Amino acid sequence: MIGVLKGLVQTWKTHWRKPVTVQYPDERLPLQPRYMGFPGLIWDQAIGEPFCTGCQVCMRYCPTQCMYVTMQDNPKQAAGESKRRKIVETFTIDISRCISCAICVEVCNFDAIEMTHAHERAGYYPDVVPDLPQLLKMSEDFRAQRGQKPARETRDVL
Amino acid sequence: MITERRLDTVDMHINVGPQHPATHGVFRMVLRVDGERIVDCVPYIGYLHRGFEKLAENEEFQEVIIHLDRTDYIAQFNNEFCYLMAVEKLLGVKPPERAEYARIILAELNRIVSHLMFYGAFGGDAGAITPFLYAFRERERLQRLFESVSGARLMHFYFRAGGLKEDLPEGFLEEVRRILPVLKQGIDECDTLLTENEVFLSRTVGIGAISAQEAIDYGCTGPILRACGVREDVRRSDPYSLYPTLDFDVPVGKKGDTFDRYLVRVQEMRESIRIVEQCLDRIPEGPFRTPIPRYPHYRVDPGEVYVHTENPRGDYGIYLISRGGVQPFRVKLRSPCFCNLMALPAMLRDAYVADAVMVLGSLDIVLGEVDR
Amino acid sequence: MPASLDATLRLVVLTAFIFNTVLVLVYVERKVLGHIQQRLGPMRTGFHGVLQTPADAIKLLVKEDLTPTTADRWVFRLAPFLVFVPVFMMFITLPFTRELAVRHLDLGIFYLVSFSSLHIVGMIMAGWGSDNKYALLGGVRAAAQLISYELPLAFAILGVVLLAKTLNLQEVVELQATAPFLVLQPLGFLIFLISSLAELSRTPFDIPMAESEVVGGPMIEYSGMRWAMFFLAEYANLFVTSAVAAVVYLGGWLWPFLPPADLAGGWAAHLVGLAWFMAKTFALILAIIWLRGTLPRLRIDQLMGFAWKLLIPFSFLNLFITAAAAVYGGFLLLLGWVATGGFAYAIYAVSRRRP
Ligand code: SF4
Ligand code: SF4
Repeated sequence: MIGVLKGLVQTWKTHWRKPVTVQYPDERLPLQPRYMGFPGLIWDQAIGEPFCTGCQVCMRYCPTQCMYVTMQDNPKQAAGESKRRKIVETFTIDISRCISCAICVEVCNFDAIEMTHAHERAGYYPDVVPDLPQLLKMSEDFRAQRGQKPARETRDVL
Repeated sequence: MITERRLDTVDMHINVGPQHPATHGVFRMVLRVDGERIVDCVPYIGYLHRGFEKLAENEEFQEVIIHLDRTDYIAQFNNEFCYLMAVEKLLGVKPPERAEYARIILAELNRIVSHLMFYGAFGGDAGAITPFLYAFRERERLQRLFESVSGARLMHFYFRAGGLKEDLPEGFLEEVRRILPVLKQGIDECDTLLTENEVFLSRTVGIGAISAQEAIDYGCTGPILRACGVREDVRRSDPYSLYPTLDFDVPVGKKGDTFDRYLVRVQEMRESIRIVEQCLDRIPEGPFRTPIPRYPHYRVDPGEVYVHTENPRGDYGIYLISRGGVQPFRVKLRSPCFCNLMALPAMLRDAYVADAVMVLGSLDIVLGEVDR
Repeated sequence: MPASLDATLRLVVLTAFIFNTVLVLVYVERKVLGHIQQRLGPMRTGFHGVLQTPADAIKLLVKEDLTPTTADRWVFRLAPFLVFVPVFMMFITLPFTRELAVRHLDLGIFYLVSFSSLHIVGMIMAGWGSDNKYALLGGVRAAAQLISYELPLAFAILGVVLLAKTLNLQEVVELQATAPFLVLQPLGFLIFLISSLAELSRTPFDIPMAESEVVGGPMIEYSGMRWAMFFLAEYANLFVTSAVAAVVYLGGWLWPFLPPADLAGGWAAHLVGLAWFMAKTFALILAIIWLRGTLPRLRIDQLMGFAWKLLIPFSFLNLFITAAAAVYGGFLLLLGWVATGGFAYAIYAVSRRRP
């Protein structure tokens, strides 16, 4: 009976504390800088093309086989603007299957892919399969937002 | 003359699971009950079988880690720790000291997370709704720490052969230092809510008890075995990493019943906090990974090795065979939950239906690890 | 007004009252439980989620009403009504204030006690009719539990009846002008509270519905409207039981503020009385919710043992003391307090005993 009373006192005290709930779509906890969402492709600002050469290494190592990459000859190289002989032609990631493991980032020899903070991507096909421009945009948005706070960030509750 | 006439009754079969709130996943047991008494219990497993061991044979050593995360999906760091010690043994590299300490800190925090999860679910099994929320409140603090370290909340994929994926983030150690006292208080609160509660005691004390000998015979390890009074902890009996230098106790129970299993876990959380505190004081600056040739597609010399660690659920072992090359030839998992679960029918001898739920909860099974 | 119209009007008002009370109760329970667990509870629908329960009610009403193919159709379909109707009947004699009640029955307490045990039938029917083993187990558990706790409940209330020498709830309240029966019947009050917790199947006695064992017990196969009926009955029962405790033991609308005799028929007295009544009832309900937020549940054998080995002997003792006091003088009621101490100690001792 003593233990029950102690428990009652405990719940009574907790009742008056500030709740830790975060009202999710309205408030968001800040993501940690290292947070791994879905991968995006990085844009080479200097030359104006993606870093990705379409070498398919990531595609081979992806544990869920959710990527599809093809390669083409780089027209900019022919024009003498770029040193990359090959460049990515198409690149899709089925993010409904991606498990955000960052293996693709780890194995890429060109540092062409990175884990962005994008994670709220629920949707229907084919919205969940971003193609090359969308992947590039994901990364660009991520870079633009880095260091910025989200629009309505919540207080740090924990 | 009076003859005793008994009412003719038929035993009833009750199917508990695979979709039942008390089975913590997709476990199924068929109870044969006589009224509220359990006559027999047959556990069925395999609903979450994903063929981890076969998958691992077709992946590089590095990639196998992500599948390890998914075996015991509540104690990911501990699993990675075990597997990577096996890989490192075959590779013949030693992680730098900073990485070792970081691994111990993360593994012990993960142990707390796992035990908190147990605490909440066990409270729920007993019919109390609040412990679950209390436990998750505390757990969330640690989950956010993990997120800051590995970038993922659940499937971390952070330990690497020879050390860590990247260095601990800036301010991480200070953050841990800040959180530990809060965590201690949270654990105390959880403690007040259940441990002394007489209703809870009457549901757990003396329920599902097995003797130490029985537990050993079934191959039980971890809190189940320690609750029987056997001071067996891989961190002590077969020390690995830097555990020999750390000072901590191995809590044991007396009777081996449901309550002792619960209590052992609660005390273990406190011991884990002690370990983390010591590591925080000692962790040096320095490199976080020993360079390995051709990382991350390293080749491993032929050989076989068995490594086991103390996971929150018991003795977690990995048997790794390499035939040379970048892929393992065989990865065999010794899953503590699987062995612990096999003692379930013995524990349910002569119990009530309601006890079945408590005993199953006290085993703290993770089906991802039982079925692999 | 013709009698039939009058009765219809009263019943309509009563029904509306029950529905609204249940909605409020569900909302209060969610909020309080949320805060006990350091959550917010419902927040989205309306201001701080006040519309959440009406929304849920509408959702339940439009949901498909499923009947399992193997179920005993009529038993299955009838069961929710048989759970709800007795609870509804209990409201009829509940004295909200001096005049405010559907009917003042001379045998009010008798009426209440008899109806409070009737919903067991519905529970058993639901458990049997569903043709589901969990439901059957839950139904049988409900039968065992509710019948066992009916006894101490009735005996506890009998103590008050002995003192009041009436079964009319109105008169019982009038008698508490100076002091509530809680003072004279502490043991009875405790026993009444505990056994009504069990009657309501609320934590720590929510064994028939045990979510983690029999997954909702008798209600497991119900959906939509019929499930809502069970829900309605459960919360209406919560209200009516707390209200009975408030009326019988805490002085209902009367104590501690006595409306002066000349105000007896006035609106002000009515409102104050109603406020007192509601305050007491809700205090009890909040305490019950608080218990739910703290305690795990007992096991069926422990529950039965508690009823038969502890509650029933002590309720006999209470009755005995009260009877002696009625014959030999009121001072003997002091023994009630001693017995309460003994009761508390007995619970303490039992809870410390370990196998
Ligand atoms: S994060 Fe993992 S699963 Fe996702 S695309 Fe990269 S390798 Fe594949
Ligand atoms: S992202 Fe990297 S690994 Fe993948 S195709 Fe492009 S360059 Fe190759």
